[in-house]
Amino acid sequence: MSNNNASVVSKTVGHADRRWLFHGLGLTVVVIVLAIIFTLINPRFATINNLANVLTQASHIIIISVAMTFVITSAGIDLSVGSLVALVTVIGFALIKSGLNPALGVLVMFVLGAGIGCFTGVLIALVKIPPFITTLGMMVSLRGLALLHSAGNMLYGLPPSLTWLGQGKLFGVPVPVIIALATALFGAWLFNHTKFGLHVRAIGGNREAARLAGVPVNLIEILVYGFMGLLAALGGLIMIARIDSTQATIGTGMEIHIIAAVIIGGTSLFGGRGSIYGTVLGAILLAMMTNALVIAGVDHFWQLVIMGFIVLLAVAIGNLRESRFPALATLKRRGR
Amino acid sequence: MNVEGSTDGASEVLRVNNLSKNYGGLKALDSVSFAVNRGEVLALVGDNGAGKSTLVKALSGAQPPDSGSIESGGQPLQLRTPRDADAAGIGCLHQGLGLVDSLNVPENVFLGRELQIKRLGFLRQLDHASMRAKTIELLERFGIHLPLLNEPVVRLSGGQRQTIAISRLLLQDVSVVIMDEPMAALGVEEGRRVLELVSNMRDQGISIIVISHNLEHVFQIADRIAVLKNGQLVDVVAIADTTRDAVVKMITFGSTH
Repeated sequence: MSNNNASVVSKTVGHADRRWLFHGLGLTVVVIVLAIIFTLINPRFATINNLANVLTQASHIIIISVAMTFVITSAGIDLSVGSLVALVTVIGFALIKSGLNPALGVLVMFVLGAGIGCFTGVLIALVKIPPFITTLGMMVSLRGLALLHSAGNMLYGLPPSLTWLGQGKLFGVPVPVIIALATALFGAWLFNHTKFGLHVRAIGGNREAARLAGVPVNLIEILVYGFMGLLAALGGLIMIARIDSTQATIGTGMEIHIIAAVIIGGTSLFGGRGSIYGTVLGAILLAMMTNALVIAGVDHFWQLVIMGFIVLLAVAIGNLRESRFPALATLKRRGR
Repeated sequence: MNVEGSTDGASEVLRVNNLSKNYGGLKALDSVSFAVNRGEVLALVGDNGAGKSTLVKALSGAQPPDSGSIESGGQPLQLRTPRDADAAGIGCLHQGLGLVDSLNVPENVFLGRELQIKRLGFLRQLDHASMRAKTIELLERFGIHLPLLNEPVVRLSGGQRQTIAISRLLLQDVSVVIMDEPMAALGVEEGRRVLELVSNMRDQGISIIVISHNLEHVFQIADRIAVLKNGQLVDVVAIADTTRDAVVKMITFGSTH
C-alpha cells in the first residue's frame, strides 16, 4: 500500500503542471502553422527581414505584456498602459530634447512610470476601487495629462544613443528584440521562481487565504502595478526609440493588444494562473497576424475588426479551458 | 488520565481561566475554564449557540474574549490576532481550509513561509526542490500519501485538501491544533484517513481540540470531551468514564440527570 503510493509520488513529481505545458506546446504549434500558412499565401512573409521586422515591432508589446501577465494573474487588469506610455514618453522626450542627459531622461521615465503604477496600485489595494474602474479613470486622466504637457505637438529627433535602442543591432539581432527577450526571461524567473511571483499567483487565486497565510497582499498588489508602470515606461522607450518620435496620442488602444497577448497566452482572466512563455507567444502571434494582414493589403479598419474578434475568441477559448476546472467557477462568482 | 478541568500541570499545554464573552446582552461564553494536556484529543461538543465557535475564536486569536485568561506553561498568552496564536504554537484549521486552489501542494504548504536560496550571490529565489522534499517528508511523518504534489490543489479531494491544510500547521511546529468539524463533507474512507491523521498527530505529542457534531467520530478519536451549553462548561469527562447517552444528556439538559 505505502510502496504503491510512493511509486505514484515519484512518477508524478517532475511533471510540472502538464496542462500548462500542453497549452504552451499547443500555442507553439499554432504559431508555426500560422507562419507556414502565411508563407504559402505570400512568400514575402518568411524572409529573414520580414520576420525580424515582426519581432522588432512586437518587442514593446512583449515587454509590456510580461508585466500585464502579473497584473492579470493577480486578478487585476490595467487599461491605462497605453496612456501611461504616452505620458511617460512625451515627458521623457521633451526633457531630453531640452538638453537633459539622455541617461537621466530615461531614468526619469522609469521613475515616473513606476511611480504612477504604484499610485494606481495604492488606489486598488488601499482605497479598494476595483482595478477595472481605477485603471479606466487613470487611462483618461493620464491621456489628458499627456495632451496638456505636449499641447498636442509631435516630438521627434532623439540622440543616436537612444535611437540605437530601437533601431540598432547587436550581433545582427535587433536591439529591441534582445531587450524584449531579456525582459521576458527576467519576467519568467520572477513569476515562477521568486517569492514575489508566488505571492502574485496566490493573491489572484485566493486573496483571503493568501492574507491569512501572511502574504502582504496590499504591498504585493501595489508592487504589481508599479512593475506594470516600469515596464510600460521601458516598452514606451523602446517604441519611441524605434520610430524616433512621440506624441500624446501614442499607444491609443494598445491595452487591448496587450491584454489580448496575455489571454491568448493562456493566463486566466480570473487570476491565479498564468504563463510568461505563453504571453510572449501570444504577442508574437498577434504581431504575425497584423503583419500578414498588412502584407495581404487588408484595410486598417478591417484589421481592427479582426483584432477585436481574435480577443473575443481567445477569451472564449480560455473560458472553455476554465470550465474544466470546477473550483475556478467559484473564483468567477467571487468577482473582483 | 485526568478527569475534570484540572490536570497535573506537567503535561498541560494550554489552560483557559474564566473565559467570558458577551455579544450585546447575550452571554456567548460564561466563565469557562479547562485545561488541555500534551498529546491528547479534546472534543468540544454542544448544540448550536453553546459557545463552541466563540471559544475557538478566542483560542485562535480571531476574536479576543471580554475577560478571563489563556495560559501556556503558566505564562499568560495575549491572543489578539491569528498571528499571536501562530506564535504561541496554536494552529487553527478552519472549515474553509484557507488553501489557494491554483497553487500546487508545496506552494500551499509553504505559502507565507517560503524557503529561498541565493543565486549569483544576491538574487533570492524560491527553493522549489527543498520545499517539495520537506513537504513529502512532513506528509510521510504523519503517514499521508499525496500523489499529485505538482498539481493545483483544486484537483485534489476534500480529504487530501484537508491534509494539506493540516501540513501547513504541522510545518509551524504547533503544539495545539484546533479542528473545526474536520469530518464534515468527507466520505467514509476520507473521514477514516483524517481520524488516522489525528491519532498520528497525538502520537507525536500534539494536542488536538476537535469541534464536532458527530458523537460517533468524537467517541472514536477523543480522549476527553468538554460539553458546552448556553456559554457555560457543563463538564469535562474522559471517554473511558462516560457513554454516548450521558453526553447527549449533558448537551441537551446541561447535566446527566
